[in-house]
Amino acid sequence: MNANFKELYQHHIEIVQEEQRENRCLVIGTLCSYVPVEILHAFDILPVRLWGLSEDIGQADALLQTYICPPARHIMALGLAGHYDFLDGIVHSYTCDATCGLFNIWCRNLKPKFSFLLSPPYIDIDEAIAYGLAEYRGFITALEGFTKKRFSVDKLRESINLYNEARAYIKEIYDVKKRGASVSYLDIYYINLCLQVLPVEMLIPHYQEYLSMAEKIASKKNGKHRILLSGSVVSDVDIMGFIEQRGGDIVADDTCLGLRLVQDRIHEDEEPLRALLKYYLLRPPCSSRADFPARKNYILEMVSLFDVDAVIFMHQKFCDPHLSDHPFLKKVLDEKGIYQMQLELEEEGGLTGQVQTRLESFFEILEGK
Amino acid sequence: MEAGKTRKRLHANKALRDIITQFYADGHRAKAEGRPVGWIPPMNGLIELFYAMDIAPVFPENWAPVCAAIGTNTKNFEYCAKRGFSGDLCGYFRNNVGYALEGINEENQPLNGLPEPDFLISFGAGCIPTMKTFQVLCDHFDVPVLRADLPQVAMEDIKEHHIQYAVAQMKRLIRFLEEITGKKFDIDRLRQAVAYTDEACRLWDELMEKRSTIPSPFSAAEIGIMFVMVTRHGTEIAVNFLKDVLQEVNEKVARGEGVIPNEKIRLFWDNIPLWYNMKLFNYFEKWDAVVVAETYSAAWSLRMDPNKPLESIAYKTLVSYPLVSCVSLHKRLELIMNAVRDYKIDGAILHSNRSCKPISMGQMDIQKVLAEELSVPSVMFDGDHMDGEKFSMAQFQTRIDAFMEMLLAKKKGKGG
Repeated sequence: MNANFKELYQHHIEIVQEEQRENRCLVIGTLCSYVPVEILHAFDILPVRLWGLSEDIGQADALLQTYICPPARHIMALGLAGHYDFLDGIVHSYTCDATCGLFNIWCRNLKPKFSFLLSPPYIDIDEAIAYGLAEYRGFITALEGFTKKRFSVDKLRESINLYNEARAYIKEIYDVKKRGASVSYLDIYYINLCLQVLPVEMLIPHYQEYLSMAEKIASKKNGKHRILLSGSVVSDVDIMGFIEQRGGDIVADDTCLGLRLVQDRIHEDEEPLRALLKYYLLRPPCSSRADFPARKNYILEMVSLFDVDAVIFMHQKFCDPHLSDHPFLKKVLDEKGIYQMQLELEEEGGLTGQVQTRLESFFEILEGK
Repeated sequence: MEAGKTRKRLHANKALRDIITQFYADGHRAKAEGRPVGWIPPMNGLIELFYAMDIAPVFPENWAPVCAAIGTNTKNFEYCAKRGFSGDLCGYFRNNVGYALEGINEENQPLNGLPEPDFLISFGAGCIPTMKTFQVLCDHFDVPVLRADLPQVAMEDIKEHHIQYAVAQMKRLIRFLEEITGKKFDIDRLRQAVAYTDEACRLWDELMEKRSTIPSPFSAAEIGIMFVMVTRHGTEIAVNFLKDVLQEVNEKVARGEGVIPNEKIRLFWDNIPLWYNMKLFNYFEKWDAVVVAETYSAAWSLRMDPNKPLESIAYKTLVSYPLVSCVSLHKRLELIMNAVRDYKIDGAILHSNRSCKPISMGQMDIQKVLAEELSVPSVMFDGDHMDGEKFSMAQFQTRIDAFMEMLLAKKKGKGG
């Protein structure tokens, strides 16, 4: 099926730079899915999630120790190599310690024209809304100063509508796959990733087209093992491809990119800023901010909703939040009789021989169950 | 380096031993008397509330250095690994989880170990390993839990809404503690606790300032005195102890008595000490060198206003962790640059600590600032604040020996 999303992602830097030149828009890098990109969009700013693998991760050694997680080191290396020199600024929303450290080190060394660290609320208590709104207003004030533009609620409403539309298409693609359409998870991965790094307006027609194609595919049982992929920044497409090749069908995910981000929609009938805050506050939480019951609820809900046979944890080396959660989640899955395996990814890792052997063994177990 | 204990020179260490014993005994006494025992994370204003409500606080994070010092950490790491936790996780986490899940049941523990919690406070702030430690504890112990959420903001960016949100969390905590204890919260008692903390911090700052004297009256080898800043904030115990230490130190300063007879090199230490090997701080003495300032000891001191007790403990809760972590690299660099100037530092030792990513991130920037803006040489060594398996004494010696020789040569060149 349509593989354009991979190509779009691979060319996203050129596309974004072209957009920056042609439309004279500002481009701001984000480090986490908790940055309210809708606010940036309402200021005509193009948000671009920093994501990817550096060809020379060793460049990061000058600023980050080798025991910092590989995604943070890759991003730092990309930054030092000039990959993101076109950015007008960087915004982070506090989630994990490593990205917060990365944000600070990035700002100090790469000196972006604009930088902002948000600290949104993560617990749904009465005071969280007032606090979160104050935090968002502080962000808006900083953006007003930087862009010399007035914030417009109407523009925010438009931005919200666009992101809602894009996310709804992605969610529907998951649902079509769930109903049996032969959609590769690699497509879904790139579909998700594109929304993080490319203009939302540009993507909506592509999503619409992809969905209508996917809907035409006859639903049938493929006999594959239905897999839920869990982890943080999961970007090892070779491993995803191997899982599919080996008889797995990744139907759902629990990562920094994917289902958690598209499950809910921002309520259009509420005051926009408040609705936006509630979307980020109430959506399935990231391991860095969630407690165990919330993690348990989400995983079990997805297992049930997507009729999952097994969970594959793809954990980044040195990822404190996910490595801390894993024994608990393993216990939860064991109690429910759901098979699971954990892959801890090395910096230069990817689909190593060891990873292949472990996945082979895992699928043999699944086949024999 | 010869085997043996850390060489401590302050007489106050004798009183400190009693304070440590008493602190852990208080928890056991509360348990025995049927009063609720709460386990809490460190570096926040919970402690003042606890003491204001006559609740004995227990800090697993403070127990970890005790375990490292007495050697039970390795057993706790094993218990933690047995439960499936990665060996790459923070040593505090691995020790405390291993201890809580299994080590706590062992017989004949030093200081009688920790009393089991009757309730837990799980704050979504501070570092991830601390937050996750409490999540494991919440899953393990079947006790009431208060979950809270706090802003993670650089000290210089704290605004009124951050403080108000933290105050709201403190009010939730007060309601929770009232239910647990069946006692009414008394704001005047909190005022008193805040006043004690403020006075302890004032004394602490004065004490640290004395180390800028040449020769320095005490070194990082005595940093155990920080125990009262961690566990006895909000009490007169901390105030009285620090007064005594200050008096002893003042007398040393008046006599011109330094840690060693012929102090030549003054060092700065970045990151958490190696709790299982505190005698490292004595290692520098063979070059007539003394560690006279640290980042870690600065994290526990701030001034508080007894007239605004809730705001004060809220503010403390917001700033303590960001002050030493990578939440604000800017503030941390400022702290180090000031220390280098104020303490007349000749060189800096940076402990690249595998167990603490938030404190270790930014150390390369610290080195750059030291070299480029202050012309202060520095050296970084790999270690771990809890796990001796991740520290090589031989590598440490190789790096430090070369560094110290360079510092001495530099000093000689200056005619120092």
